[in-house]
Amino acid sequence: MVDKGQVISLCRFLLRAGRQYPDYNIREYAKRRTLDGFRMNKNLTDHSKVVDAYVEGKKQLEVVERLVKVYLAYPPKTKNIMELKLQ
Amino acid sequence: MASLSTSSLSFKAPSIQSTRTSQVLRKPLSFKPISFGCFQSSKNLRLQISCAAKPETVQKVSDIVREQLALSADTALTAESKFSALGADSLDTVEIVMALEEKFNISVEEADAQNITTIQEAADLIEDLAQKKPAA
Repeated sequence: MVDKGQVISLCRFLLRAGRQYPDYNIREYAKRRTLDGFRMNKNLTDHSKVVDAYVEGKKQLEVVERLVKVYLAYPPKTKNIMELKLQ
Repeated sequence: MASLSTSSLSFKAPSIQSTRTSQVLRKPLSFKPISFGCFQSSKNLRLQISCAAKPETVQKVSDIVREQLALSADTALTAESKFSALGADSLDTVEIVMALEEKFNISVEEADAQNITTIQEAADLIEDLAQKKPAA
């Protein structure tokens, strides 16, 4: 049984984990992808599908967390131009 | 003084005032544990009460909300507007809370994040966390 609160906290965990990437591109992608993924499945009514989506989300959370460690070992040397403030 | 605070918390003040008592009155009931902490910290400082949020914080929160929900410039955003009334569902609320965390460099707990429904609550929580952070 997956309830709404669990789904929302899964979303929060995914967003928090995605924030830790040093690389601008993958960081933005993680945030965009989680929000799109959750919005896409927002209106599911069949509970077994909801559970499937939740399990999938949990797996992705593990992947994200593992990759954060890998990326942090090799941070980019320069800042991405998108991160620089306009002057 | 502590007993005064518990009785005053049951009233909801209608408008935003700059006086000390009405700012205390404005605290919603769900924030009761936090308000006691505020009382303890306010006794050793300045006249400005530390419980209620500053107007510029409320303004910054409103700007972020406006940007996240893509509201037009003329939709009125008061401190008491609920996110759901502005057309935000729970995912939008999560996004707003994340954006606020990044902007103010704070970390919101799960339980607190679930309870945020209006702009004022968000601003109060931010002020609270911003205060606790330098102390930690």
